[in-house]
Amino acid sequence: MTKSISRSSLWVVIGVALAFLTACDNNPYTPDDSSKKILYTWFREAPKTLDPAVAYTTSSHQFTGVIYPSMLEYHYLKRPYQLTPSLAKSVPAPEVLPNGYVRYRFDMREGAMFEKDLCFEELAGVEHREIVASDVVFQLKRVADPAINSPVVSVFSKIAGFDEFIKALTEARAADPDFSSRRIDQQYKEAGDIEGLKTPTPHTLEVTLKEPYPQILYWFTMQFTSPVPWEAVVYYDGQDGRDHLRDHPVGGGPYRMASYNKQFRVVLERNPDWWGASPAHRGAPGTVYPSEGEPGDKERGRLDPKYVGQPVPFIDRVEFRREKEAIPSFGKFLQGYFDLSGIIQESFDQVIKNDQLSEEMVEQGVRLEKSVSPDVFYIGFNMDDPMVGHAAGERGRKLRQAMSLVVDVEEFKRVFTNGRGVPAQSPVPPGVFGYEEDYQNPFRVVDKEKAKKKLEEAGYPGGVDPETGQPLRLTFDTADTTSRGLLQSQFYVRAWRTIGIDVEIKATNYNQFQEKVRNGAYQIFNWGWVADYPDAENFLFLLESGQARSVSDGPNTANFQYARYDALFKQMKTRANDETRLEIIREMKDILAEERPWIELFSRENYALYHGWMQNVKPFGMSVPFYKYWDIDPDLRTENRAAWNRPVLWPVYVLVALFFAILVPGIRTFYRERQ
Amino acid sequence: MVAYIIRRIGYGFLTVLGVLFFLFILFFAVTDPDDIARKAVGERAPPEVYEQWKRNKGYDKPLFVNTEHGWLSGGRYTDTLLVDHYTRMLTFQFGQSDADDALISKRIREGAGPSLMLTVPLFLSGMAVAVMVSLFVSFFRETYIDRMALVLCMLAMSVTILLYIIGGQYLIGKVLHWFPISGFDPDPTIVYKFLLLPILVGLVNGLGADVRFYRTVFVEETTKDYVRTARAKGAGEIRVMGNHVLRNALIPILTQIVVAIPFLFTGSLLLESFFGIPGLGSLTIDAIFGNDFATLRTMVYIGALLFVTGQILTDISYTLADPRIRLE
Repeated sequence: MTKSISRSSLWVVIGVALAFLTACDNNPYTPDDSSKKILYTWFREAPKTLDPAVAYTTSSHQFTGVIYPSMLEYHYLKRPYQLTPSLAKSVPAPEVLPNGYVRYRFDMREGAMFEKDLCFEELAGVEHREIVASDVVFQLKRVADPAINSPVVSVFSKIAGFDEFIKALTEARAADPDFSSRRIDQQYKEAGDIEGLKTPTPHTLEVTLKEPYPQILYWFTMQFTSPVPWEAVVYYDGQDGRDHLRDHPVGGGPYRMASYNKQFRVVLERNPDWWGASPAHRGAPGTVYPSEGEPGDKERGRLDPKYVGQPVPFIDRVEFRREKEAIPSFGKFLQGYFDLSGIIQESFDQVIKNDQLSEEMVEQGVRLEKSVSPDVFYIGFNMDDPMVGHAAGERGRKLRQAMSLVVDVEEFKRVFTNGRGVPAQSPVPPGVFGYEEDYQNPFRVVDKEKAKKKLEEAGYPGGVDPETGQPLRLTFDTADTTSRGLLQSQFYVRAWRTIGIDVEIKATNYNQFQEKVRNGAYQIFNWGWVADYPDAENFLFLLESGQARSVSDGPNTANFQYARYDALFKQMKTRANDETRLEIIREMKDILAEERPWIELFSRENYALYHGWMQNVKPFGMSVPFYKYWDIDPDLRTENRAAWNRPVLWPVYVLVALFFAILVPGIRTFYRERQ
Repeated sequence: MVAYIIRRIGYGFLTVLGVLFFLFILFFAVTDPDDIARKAVGERAPPEVYEQWKRNKGYDKPLFVNTEHGWLSGGRYTDTLLVDHYTRMLTFQFGQSDADDALISKRIREGAGPSLMLTVPLFLSGMAVAVMVSLFVSFFRETYIDRMALVLCMLAMSVTILLYIIGGQYLIGKVLHWFPISGFDPDPTIVYKFLLLPILVGLVNGLGADVRFYRTVFVEETTKDYVRTARAKGAGEIRVMGNHVLRNALIPILTQIVVAIPFLFTGSLLLESFFGIPGLGSLTIDAIFGNDFATLRTMVYIGALLFVTGQILTDISYTLADPRIRLE
């Protein structure tokens, strides 16, 4: 009896152990793929939409940015950011027309094709077709279409006739219920042309603006202005089992969507029909690895002669795996199964020591790339408020100055961001023309004594309002109700309390916060701005009076209105980046420093980790994907993965031994007792 | 028996109707369709856009009674959210997701596979291991093995599944390199790799409670007269435990097991989410975080339906396991 139990259980245990040993392997990918040039990375949440007229998030741009071709693109290595041609043969120069309008003329490459897709076959009986200028016009009409709900309509309203088109389309739809059921390209055609968008030849696009707006060119690097085939919009309508365009991009960029499963995997593959891969365009900017960069690129191996001038892309496939949780995804990075990663809060101190990579990481060949994103986070004052705003005059200004003098960003970084972030001295962040590293805002240093003095001058000695005899009571409105957000709000409030000011936090949900902003019922708030494009105009306009929330519902939530600032802004916004422009920006910064509508906090700093087998990687700061310039050494990767992931099997033997150690004496005791 | 089953099904149906009404109150009366719309199209969208969205989804109808379109004007009083809600759910026409307009029924079909791949082996192996261990432990009742097992069970029960998940990922995935830390790939040659660790974690998580429960049942059985009779007839210990005791202890075990069977379809919320398995549990979590009310409603409804089914199945299984029980 004893024998049969232990013998059969022995076989079971041995069988399980053997099955286990053969199954033991933590490589999450198909084994054959390890020798291929595949980039492995991850996504947390599938983007809501990949429709290029709507998609406006980093999570969607990482796909759409390489699938849809654009007229222009950014130089990969040069900083400050520089525009280069792409689908357009050159970066167009503005041409001022007699009526004051400004025209840009894009000469497009000939023979550039859309990717092959079923929609062309179904609607036109061809595999794919050439990209022409009217495809860009079609896309811009989609941006205008109210039914699409594009987030950037106001930008393109600067195009002559854009608003008129919106009106005509809306009216046509309202007048005739059948109109909406017509094919979308027909609807756009019947709603009429946009006056400022002309295609004199199939490969020429003329864009006419009602006012000078040189920054429009940056918008031509984005997918809002990418050519989109009407066939795709018509065919992928989500009906009868067909995909929706928002889940089925049809572009013509360096990569195409090979598989889009929002639940667990997104795969991009090299697009064989990309215009940059055809011999006719070989060597054009954006089709080969750049030969110039900024100082330091050479030292960091980003101008390796092996790559300079070589046709891109180098990587054949980009695999995004879904990882909902940060801890497992970082674990897989450390095992070599993801090629790049951010740093999770939980492991920050393990990975970064004294702002440097830890020795352990360096040994693994991991590289750290820091980049500052062109954005700015700030505390704002509602300048319409009688207590802290314009109406309070000199008293209000001194109060704001005092409050600005006690908010310690370095301390904030230490507590909340693991020390990451660049303290902001003005709205203009690093990487943008007008940012000066050595500029010091006199009210963005921490000086409690000076703050107290300012407060006294403002008529609130020790923070006490002499009229009431009570400490000054202000409110801080925030839409961040998370515990972390509350802690951050408390951080500011505590700072102000050190000079005797009592600030109450009013945390509400985003809707209620918006409501308060709409009604002007707020005093102090915090907010951030992420640039659409790297130009000072895109930051300084946040304080221009025309953009004031209370005037035009614009993004100037501080409602700052200052005539001299507005005049300077007007001069600055249409100027090219020269010494005069810098002078103007300096004066604007001085006004803001003195007036204090904002307490500037910081620009975010990203720490990204890359494995040693990744080549040519340079963080960009904005959400523009550049996989086409990256390369991978698959042999090194395979070697490292094998070395880092040898299964540790001794615990199996220990467990088996333990099993018998418990079992055998038990059986013996049992039988002894029974007898 | 047939009459009883029909009656049970009738009660079950009423329960489901009640659940549907509760869902309706929660998702339409308590949650304002305006909020759903704003979440779906973006906080900053102009009013026309979310009005249009509500129309497309049918969320613009009145809740209970449609007074706008009386019979006289050719409309129906019943053209309301409540009626729509019941018709959709009862006919299994779940419609489209609020978050991205994907067909919910398609999502459910896609998610059921990975969920079942995880839950079925977990369920079967969990049951087998728990029964084996508890038979083993009750065989050695009142010895150090029994006491040790009890202590271990209590320990295992007191620990939250999150710790097992993170601990399992750390120890087995990260330190020992046995299996991938997380992930999924439907490729049949490698899919097992992704399932072993979550199954192991699920197994360990459920083992404590199951073993303790089964052990109690088995120990109670082993003291009964028929066990002594069997031994007296000369039946071996394996035969006594495996044949006589196990079969007689089936009733309480069945109660536990049959109720759980239907839920194999809904997957496991936490295991799927942490291990990145694209099943129905993961779908539900996504719906919660993505403000996808349509999907969430459907998943809660399906859960209720399965629960009721499980109850009925349990009752029926009693008569099969023990002919003495009559359902009346």
